[in-house]
Amino acid sequence: MPESIPAPLIIDTLKDTFREARAALAAEGVRPRHEHLGWILSVPDTHQKTVLAALDKERALRVLTCSTEDEANAVAAGLWMGGEPFVLMIQHAGLYASINTLRGVAMDGRVPIFYMIGLLSREKDKDPRESRHSMVRYCEPLLDVFGVPHARLEGPDDVHLIPEYYRLAQKRRGPAAVLVGLETM
Amino acid sequence: MAMRPEDVLRLIAAARGDAICIPTMTTAPAWRDLAPDDLSVACVGFMGGASAMGLGLALARPDRRVVVFDGDGSLLMQLGSLATIAGAGARNLTHLVFKNGVYHTSGSQEIPGGLQVDFVTMAKGAGYRAAYAVHELDDFKKRLPSMLTDPGPLLVELYTGLSEKTPMTARGGQPFNQQAETLRTKLVRPR
Repeated sequence: MPESIPAPLIIDTLKDTFREARAALAAEGVRPRHEHLGWILSVPDTHQKTVLAALDKERALRVLTCSTEDEANAVAAGLWMGGEPFVLMIQHAGLYASINTLRGVAMDGRVPIFYMIGLLSREKDKDPRESRHSMVRYCEPLLDVFGVPHARLEGPDDVHLIPEYYRLAQKRRGPAAVLVGLETM
Repeated sequence: MAMRPEDVLRLIAAARGDAICIPTMTTAPAWRDLAPDDLSVACVGFMGGASAMGLGLALARPDRRVVVFDGDGSLLMQLGSLATIAGAGARNLTHLVFKNGVYHTSGSQEIPGGLQVDFVTMAKGAGYRAAYAVHELDDFKKRLPSMLTDPGPLLVELYTGLSEKTPMTARGGQPFNQQAETLRTKLVRPR
């Protein structure tokens, strides 16, 4: 059965992920221009609201709230060109709303974008692909259609997938996503 | 009489220094001819994204001026970016809106609201540090130095006619992914 993931665990994992990203950039000879570790580009997601609330108190991570997921993808492209690490935190409905920008920026544009996508309304006792809710049910099939690698965060033991899929996005120079199964706590 | 977009772009090309420039739609072919350098990236393939991409660059590189050459139809597609840009308070971002009232690339259909859409008021309402309109090339020429140095976010609505070329009549240039890679290399690994 899936379990909720505590917000501090996700935030610590994101910090470690960004530290690793900064170290990789430094190894390429990129000098840091900012004191923070990385950017969280967010269109607020009910499912990950405890993480977003906790991020308000974080000084090591910069949060930019965007009006739409289309914007978040385009901001990500600019940050990437400027050598900054980032994560997009959105909801499945936002994925559907911004799929053309994901295609244009992350796929055709080859910008390595790592997404954390909240599966709002995902039932604890059902596989997401069998959900009663179309917004839950269509998420993985949509990512499959676009060839976006994805994995489920089904509990605290799965947070290692955050750095793994972040690295995957960098390696394949394209999108990669983890799906947050239950509401964070 | 409306300004010619090519005349506006020519003046910018001469004055920009090391500013990063982001053309989109009908400014892209002309800019490619006028400033064939590696400090520009055209927003191609995700119409409406120029302003947000400019914001990302401005936040990543606060030491550089970032100048977005938006279109009125393009900006309408991601109008919320005005609030996002203002909220982020990017002091190094200049947002130029080439206003011609139509979707030139797709056949010059009128944009919603046509020329009466007031982007200056919208930008001010969103919280831009400054916003104003320019109708004449002489006025643009006078104000250009301050557009490139005044604290942003700054929006300038430029009353322009139709450009000579569009992305449909003047295909070519590097695809977005190559432009982005080139610019990234230039910015993060300066020689």
